[in-house]
Amino acid sequence: MNRLCDSMEPKVMDDDMLKLAVGEQGPQEEAGQLAKQEGILFKDVLSLQLDFRNILRIDNLWQFENLRKLQLDNNIIEKIEGLENLTHLVWLDLSFNNIETIEGLDTLVNLEDLSLFNNRISKIDSLDALVKLQVLSLGNNQIDNMMNIVYLRRFQCLRTLSLSGNPISEAEDYKMFICAYLPDLVYLDFRRIDDHTKELAEAKHQYSIDELKHRENLMQVRLQDERARQEELEKHKTAFVEHLNGSFLFDSMYAEDSEGNKLSYLPGVSELLEAYKDKFVIICVNIFEYGLKQQEKRKIELDTFSECVHEAIQENQEQGKRKIAQFEEKHLSSLSAIREESELPNIEKMILECSADVSELFNELMMLEMQLVEQLEETINMFERNIVDMVGLFIENVQSLMAQCRDLENHHHEKLLEISISTLEKIVKGDLDEDLPDDLRALFVDKDTIVNAVGASHDIHLLKIDNREDELVTRINSWCTRLVDKIHKDEIMRNRKRVKEINQYIDHMQSELDNLEYSDILD
Amino acid sequence: MEVLREKVEEEEEAEREEAAKRAEWARTEKMMRPVEVRKEETTLTQEMLRDLEKKLSEIQIPISAELPAFTKDTIDISKLPVSYKTNTPKEEHLLQVADNFSRQYSHLCPDRVPLFLHPLNECEVPKFVSTTLRPTLMPYPELYNWDSCAQFVSDFLTMVPLPDPLKPPSHLYSSTTVLNYQKGNCFDFSTMLCSMLIGSGYDAYCVNGYGSLDLCHMDLTREVCPLTVKPKETVQKEEKVLPKKYTIRPPRDLCSRFEQEQEVKKQQEIRAQEKKQLREEEERLMEAEKAKPDALHGLRVHSWVLVLSGKREVPENFFIDAFTGHSYSTQDERFLGIESLWNHKNYWINMQDCWNCCKDLIFDLGDPVRWEYMLLGTDKSQLSLTEEDDSGINDEDDVENLGKEDEDKSFDMPHSWVEQIEISPEAFETRCPNGKKVIQYKRAKLEKWAPYLNSNGLVSRLTTYEDLECTNILEIKEWYQNREDMLELKHINKTTDLKIDYFKPGHPQALRVHSYKSMQPEMDRVIEFYETARVDGLIKREETARTMTEYYQGRPDFLSYRHANFRPRVKKLALSSAESNPRPIVKITEQFFRNPAKPAEEDVAERVFLLAEERIQLRYHCRDDHITASKREFLRRTEVDSKGNKIIMTPDMCISFEVEPMEHTKKLLYQYEAMMHLKREEKLSRHQVWESELEVLEILKLREEEEAAHTLTISIYDTKRNEKSKEYREAMERVMHEEHLRQVETQLDYLAPFLAQLPPGEKLTRWQAVRLKDECLSDFKQRLINKANLIQARFEKETQELQKKQQWYQENQVTLTPEDEDLYLSYCSQAMFRIRILEQRLNRHKELAPLKYLALEEKLYKDPRLGELQKIFA
Repeated sequence: MNRLCDSMEPKVMDDDMLKLAVGEQGPQEEAGQLAKQEGILFKDVLSLQLDFRNILRIDNLWQFENLRKLQLDNNIIEKIEGLENLTHLVWLDLSFNNIETIEGLDTLVNLEDLSLFNNRISKIDSLDALVKLQVLSLGNNQIDNMMNIVYLRRFQCLRTLSLSGNPISEAEDYKMFICAYLPDLVYLDFRRIDDHTKELAEAKHQYSIDELKHRENLMQVRLQDERARQEELEKHKTAFVEHLNGSFLFDSMYAEDSEGNKLSYLPGVSELLEAYKDKFVIICVNIFEYGLKQQEKRKIELDTFSECVHEAIQENQEQGKRKIAQFEEKHLSSLSAIREESELPNIEKMILECSADVSELFNELMMLEMQLVEQLEETINMFERNIVDMVGLFIENVQSLMAQCRDLENHHHEKLLEISISTLEKIVKGDLDEDLPDDLRALFVDKDTIVNAVGASHDIHLLKIDNREDELVTRINSWCTRLVDKIHKDEIMRNRKRVKEINQYIDHMQSELDNLEYSDILD
Repeated sequence: MEVLREKVEEEEEAEREEAAKRAEWARTEKMMRPVEVRKEETTLTQEMLRDLEKKLSEIQIPISAELPAFTKDTIDISKLPVSYKTNTPKEEHLLQVADNFSRQYSHLCPDRVPLFLHPLNECEVPKFVSTTLRPTLMPYPELYNWDSCAQFVSDFLTMVPLPDPLKPPSHLYSSTTVLNYQKGNCFDFSTMLCSMLIGSGYDAYCVNGYGSLDLCHMDLTREVCPLTVKPKETVQKEEKVLPKKYTIRPPRDLCSRFEQEQEVKKQQEIRAQEKKQLREEEERLMEAEKAKPDALHGLRVHSWVLVLSGKREVPENFFIDAFTGHSYSTQDERFLGIESLWNHKNYWINMQDCWNCCKDLIFDLGDPVRWEYMLLGTDKSQLSLTEEDDSGINDEDDVENLGKEDEDKSFDMPHSWVEQIEISPEAFETRCPNGKKVIQYKRAKLEKWAPYLNSNGLVSRLTTYEDLECTNILEIKEWYQNREDMLELKHINKTTDLKIDYFKPGHPQALRVHSYKSMQPEMDRVIEFYETARVDGLIKREETARTMTEYYQGRPDFLSYRHANFRPRVKKLALSSAESNPRPIVKITEQFFRNPAKPAEEDVAERVFLLAEERIQLRYHCRDDHITASKREFLRRTEVDSKGNKIIMTPDMCISFEVEPMEHTKKLLYQYEAMMHLKREEKLSRHQVWESELEVLEILKLREEEEAAHTLTISIYDTKRNEKSKEYREAMERVMHEEHLRQVETQLDYLAPFLAQLPPGEKLTRWQAVRLKDECLSDFKQRLINKANLIQARFEKETQELQKKQQWYQENQVTLTPEDEDLYLSYCSQAMFRIRILEQRLNRHKELAPLKYLALEEKLYKDPRLGELQKIFA
């Protein structure tokens, strides 16, 4: 890399350099004069060429937000940096530089053509974000591991690749390997891959490729499964009844309950527990199904509401458009009449008429808008009432179901207590048949201990149930408030926008009329 | 008769004229070179004659039936089969039964007219009417349904009125004869139609009854032509959408209800008045149109077809008048009564009263009180079925058994004596007698022609008149078929002089509809296109004297509409044609569909090029949630500032209104670029308009050429008309024939001459077989040798001759003229060629001869007639 430029003074990418380049590469001739007159904003520039400038460090490019094409070739850049803001970039040329690792390209999601020819890169990676990549040029680098090719399999659009001049291109299997592992590739090292080569390569590497494909497929399937499960859960979450379609709540009740677990070894308790669990799960599933059904209902309600609102707004817009079209037709004809009129008093009269028309239009449009606001307000209030009622009903029903859960728990607690006390009595009398685990036996010291233990277990269970209930209620309430807030806010925004639009239009019309007046007076 | 006499007179006149003309011609012939004036005179008379001829041919004889055209002497009965000329014993029996039935009937109902049971056929043999029906399923799929069938019968036959309108005819001819002569009375019509309908599975009956005058004379002049009746627009009932839960409430109505009511009342009154007037007008018209009362009303005998519901998914009983092919409800008041009806199996007499036309008749043929049947045990058991419908299956079984018993006792109808109805494809296509038919309707005339009969492809013409007398033409519709320019329908409105041509897909210019008043360019005209067939997606182009409007669909640049205004052409001093001097364009308006790829505020909806004012107006599309759209106006004037520099762009050259003001559009550079782009576009649009004008000229020229040429296309499947395919087919047949001949040749029997020597029919002994084989082989060998010798001899002869000639040439070489030398040389080359060919043939023969010999031996060995040989060798 002993290039001539190495010996020269490196330059800094400053504002002057950029301005100069932009000016040189901007529009020419008449348009150029205009451009010079006005100055060009960096963010309007679409393509920039900065080659042979001895740049050492990429800098100062953050203003070029809309840049599509950037050429930084033949400099002495050592690190890819400062390109984070150029998200619209499609073409990036960094060839003939001193770059050692690929980095800093993670935001350039639109990049299609990347050239890193003649650098010092030894490994292909950090290109994951470049999903649209079509052309990749990595010739004259120091890539020496064939496995780098496998990394390129993830780029679905990649059609052109150049890797000549790398250590791996010396390998005798180089071409076959690439053709086999990248079957969608069309050009390799600036040459078209013919079908024959492709077939040969496929045949040669079939075994390993099949294995690779199999692995990739497995991964894909697993990912899909995961996604499906996630979606399902998401759906349940929107209905606020996630994890209620099974024994999840019941299990969580016993997860942190050491006493309860210990007590389950008591004779007769396991059967009791089994029955309790069955009943509990049935109630949970009831809640779950009820939740889904209610969710569906709420969705339908919301859909109808938004459909109706949308229709109303559309209708209103149509009316507005019609009014404006009528007005414009009339306005145009009266404007041309004014232009043709030569008598000054007549002109003034006509202009007055015109401005009356404009204000009339303003009134009409505003009236329409006010009418719509009123109508929508009424509808929104009705919807709000309904949705709040629905949520209230849902909460009420869920609470009653939860109360059933609590009853079950109480019932279970009583039974357990009974068994425990009778066991204690037996132990005290010494006629216990079965062997109990030691830590359980430790509880049966006296009545207080055992009652406390059972009571603690019971408290934990109740707490869990209460928590679940509270969570559900809070979440649905907050959802409801947020929804209603959003609807109100949207409506206000819409209204503001429309009023602004109308005002703007009317102002424009009025100013046009005023201009006419002035020019006529001047004449 | 008056008309007829007139006609005769006119014909005579024409003949006289003809004779005069001929004489004139003769005279002019004699005079050798006639004077110019004379010649003109003759041509004049010729033209007049032609006119006269045309006029004569236009005169139509309204009812040709006065001539007794269809009598038995004109019918050639020699070719008819025996069943037409004699009766089988079963038929005799049937006639006896019928006579008996008739006697009983006349005894029981003495006040009713005698029955129409067994009229004579064309061979003067009495035949029972049911046996004259010959159910036939036609081989044409077009004739499978009743409507097309009836239409065909009405088109195919010419109507002849009954000799006596008050009595059924004495003769009823077979369908064979009727088809041959394409003429018939109402009984012939209905017999044929009934045969065809029963053949295709309908429950159809011939009816002998009484009809109105119009019906009996096939007089449609009081009928509205079915083609002129506009299909009633089915008023789609707007489905009332249930107001959704959150539909917004309409704003409060602040109008006075009382005022509204008053307004409605007033309008209703006015409407009622109008309606009343209209009704009066209508009544007056109806009165005028109503027929004069018929003296013989209710006595005129007519025959038609009754189709009963049940079979072929016919939902309801109806009548078909075979004359017109129209269907009528059984309630129609033109059908005044039914005497009897029959199908191919039985005969029924109507026992119901017909005082109220046919309106009260019940067509339940199984009811013996209403319908007296002649033969017992036919399949008509509607009554019993309807009555015992709700009783159990057992009962039905009983009924079936009963039926069987009845059948045993009953006498069933003999098979029809008529041959199957046959219609040749040519006749089917030609349809009407001579391929032409004229029907007169109320205020309309319909003419029909067979396809390919008219050289311009005209197949039917409907002329609509203003008045009942058919003198003032309102409009003419002409239907065409098989035209190369795909013209389908020509509609000429005589009052507005507007002509509309409709085309089928496939015109070279993708024309669909062309409506115009004159073929001159730059006049009012609308041309519609099949837009998918055009590259530019043009749907419609409208032209007036000063404007041209084009509508597009499905273009990649989303152009939907272009409108150009012209100024009258500036008169140039230099002479120039219309093309080189296009009309100056004042204004071009273009509209675009929404391009979903662009944001609305950058997507132009309409642009107007005001060429005269050098102004360009743009209007953008409206965003979904907005009611106003951006606008921009460019003034294109190039001006010079105070220092004499050219002003490139100033802010006042572009006035814009933006819904959402953006920064970059305020820039002069942006505006400048936009304006440059628009300038280029303007040039393109002007060019487009100019090209459209040229295209119109081209279309008009093409249309004129097509009208003049009016060539017809012939389908490649039309084997009769397609000359090319005919030739090809004939060539193929010839080739096949030759091939066949050759095959016959190769299968020559070598053994035949030798076998002929032996006594026939005897089995060959082994010795005989061996001898036969040897003889055959030696003979063949001899023949091969002979052939070789023959070729050899010819070869030698040719060589000798050549040698002689050469010798002669050597000797006379000096004295020969160049021509002789040429002759000699050509002879030499020819001779050499012959010798070479002979040599080749000889060589080939030598090669092939042993093979042929072996092949024959093999063949003989395998010959079954010499089986003896095989046995031994085996």
